[in-house]
Amino acid sequence: MKTLEYLSDPTLRAMFLPGIVAGLITVVMCAVVSPLVVVKRLGFIGQGISHSAFGGVGLAAVLVAVGWMAAGGVAELLVIAVFSVGAALGMGWVGRRRETPEDTAIGLFLVGSMALGTVLVQAARAVAERGGRAADVRSWESILFGSVSTAGTGDVVVAGAVAGAVVLALWAGRRPLLFWATDEQTARAFGVPVGLVRGGLMVVLGLVVVTSMKVAGVVLASALLVLPGATALRLSSRLWSVVGWSLVVGAAGVLAGFVVAFEADWPVGPSIVLVQVVLFAGACGAGWVRAIGGRGASAATVRA
Amino acid sequence: MSQATAGATQQSGQPARVPAAVELEGVGFCYPGNATAALEGVSLRVAKGERLGILGPNGGGKSTLLKLILGLERPDRGTVRVFGESPEVARQRGWVGYVPQRPQVELGMPLSVREVVRLGAGWRCAPWRGIPAGVAERAERALELCGATGFADRPIGSLSGGQFQRAMMARALSVEPRILALDEPMVGIDPAGQAVFGELLREIHARLGLTLLIVSHDLRAIVAGADRVACLSQRLHSHTGPAGLTPEVLAEVFSHDLVGLAGQMGPLHVHAHAASACGHVHGSGAGPAGGQAAGEVVLTVTAEKKGGGGGGGSGEGRGG
Repeated sequence: MKTLEYLSDPTLRAMFLPGIVAGLITVVMCAVVSPLVVVKRLGFIGQGISHSAFGGVGLAAVLVAVGWMAAGGVAELLVIAVFSVGAALGMGWVGRRRETPEDTAIGLFLVGSMALGTVLVQAARAVAERGGRAADVRSWESILFGSVSTAGTGDVVVAGAVAGAVVLALWAGRRPLLFWATDEQTARAFGVPVGLVRGGLMVVLGLVVVTSMKVAGVVLASALLVLPGATALRLSSRLWSVVGWSLVVGAAGVLAGFVVAFEADWPVGPSIVLVQVVLFAGACGAGWVRAIGGRGASAATVRA
Repeated sequence: MSQATAGATQQSGQPARVPAAVELEGVGFCYPGNATAALEGVSLRVAKGERLGILGPNGGGKSTLLKLILGLERPDRGTVRVFGESPEVARQRGWVGYVPQRPQVELGMPLSVREVVRLGAGWRCAPWRGIPAGVAERAERALELCGATGFADRPIGSLSGGQFQRAMMARALSVEPRILALDEPMVGIDPAGQAVFGELLREIHARLGLTLLIVSHDLRAIVAGADRVACLSQRLHSHTGPAGLTPEVLAEVFSHDLVGLAGQMGPLHVHAHAASACGHVHGSGAGPAGGQAAGEVVLTVTAEKKGGGGGGGSGEGRGG
C-alpha cells in the first residue's frame, strides 16, 4: 500500500496533505451547488467558465512575464477569477437575446477564451525569455488537468475562504434560488428578483470553477461540478438527501482518487474524476436493480 | 350572471365605483426584434370577482397579455392597471397568483409539493429562520383547498397532470392573492380530470371570491370556469376598427372548437367588441338580455343533427 506509506512518512505527508485537504474543500463546495447545476442544465456553462479561465491564465501569465505580478500568488488567482466571473456574466448577458441562444453565447466565450489564452501564454513565454527571466509560466498539463498534488497551505486557505463564502451565499439565498430554479417565470411573477439570483449564481459558479481548476484543471473542472449532483439525483428526489449524497460522492471521489493516484501512479485530477464517473455508473446500476426489484415485488404481490 | 352584467354596465358607459381588478387601455406590445406586434390596441376591463377567459389561437398574444398583467413585460403603448395600481406594485404586494403551464416547471427539482407551495410566500423569509408558522399554515390551507394534501409529500416531478395543476394552484393561493391567473390550465389533463378541475375552479371562486383569469386556446377550458371571454388573435388585432371584426373572422378563429362544443352544450352565442377585444360566451338560452351595443357582432353556432358530419357554424353579424 503506497498510500499508507506516503501518509505515514512525515515528509511525504507534509507534501501531500495540503493537496488532499484543498481537494476535499473544493469538492465539497462543488457538491453543494452540483445538483442545481444538473437540474438547471448549467453543465455547459460550467464548461464555458472553466475554459474561459484559460484566457485568465494567459492574461496572468503576461502580467507575470512583464514583472507586474508574482507567479502563483493570490493576485494571479484573482486575475483568473475576475476573468472567469466576467466571462460567466458575459455568457448570461449575450445569451439573453433571441438572436444569440445561450449555448451559442457559451461556445463563443469558450473558444474565444481558449484562443486568447493560447496566444497570451505564448506571448508571455516570449516576453519572459527576451527579458532574460525564466519562463515562469505554468505547464500546459497543470493548466489543463490540474496540479493538486503540488498544493500548499496557501491553496488550502484560498480554497477554504472561497468555499466558505460560496456555501454561505448559497445557504442565505437558498429559497429564492430554489424558487427560481423550479420555475423562472413564476418566480418573477411572485416578485423574486431573478436577475439578481441568476447573476449571483453566475458569480458563484465562476468562483467554484476557478477554485476547482487547481484540483482538476481547465478541462476537468466542470466534471466536479456535474458528477456529484448527477449521481445524487439518481439516488434520491428529496432536497437534503440529494445534497447529502452529492457531498458523499464528492468526498469519496477525492479520497478514492488520491488512493488510486498513489497506488497506480496516475495524475490526481483525472483519477478523482474517473472515480466519480464510476460512482455515477454505480448509481445508475443501483437504480436499475431497484426498478427491476420493484417490478418483481409488484408482480409477486399480484400473484399473491 | 351578475359579473357579466357588471361588465356590460361598464361597457354601456356608466362610471365605475370601484377600481377594476384589471384594466387595460389601448395596450400595444411588440417583442424586441419582431416585425409584427404581439398585441395592438387592446382595451379590457375585468371587474372584481369576475371570471374572464382569454381565448385565442397559439401565438395570438394570450400569454403576452398575461405577462403584461403580471408585470413581467411593460406595454409599448397604453396602460395596464391592477386594482388601480401598476402591475409591478401588484406583483410586490402579491395580488396576482400565477399558475404556470407544466412545461415551464423544472420537474427534475428534488422538491416535494409542500416545499414548492411553501416557497410561494416563504422565499421572502429571512434565511437564518425556518419557514414561519403563519406561512406554513397558509400553505397547508391552500393545499387543502386545492385537494392537494394527499400528495403533498410527493416529489413535484411525480404528479399527474391534474395533481400538478392543483399543486401549482395551491402555491398561487398560498400568497392569498386577489386575482388568480391560470395559463392553459387544462393542457395535459384527461377529459374526466378536466371536468373535476373545472368544478374545483368554480368552488374556489365561490369560496374566495377571487377574480379569475383563464388563458387558453381550448374553449372547453374557458367555458369550464369563465363568465366572459376576451378573444385574442393576431388576426383580430391586425384590424383596428370595428369593421375588422367580422363574423367570418370569428368563425374562423372559433369554429373548430365551437362546433364540437355546441354538440355538447347546445347553441352558444358568442359576441365580441371589436374596439375592446373582449366578448362573452353564453350557454344555451342565456343570450344577452338587452341587445348589443354598437360595433358588436354575434356569432351563433349550433350543432347539426347527429350524423351531420361534424356539425357546422353560422355567423350573424350586427354592424354598428
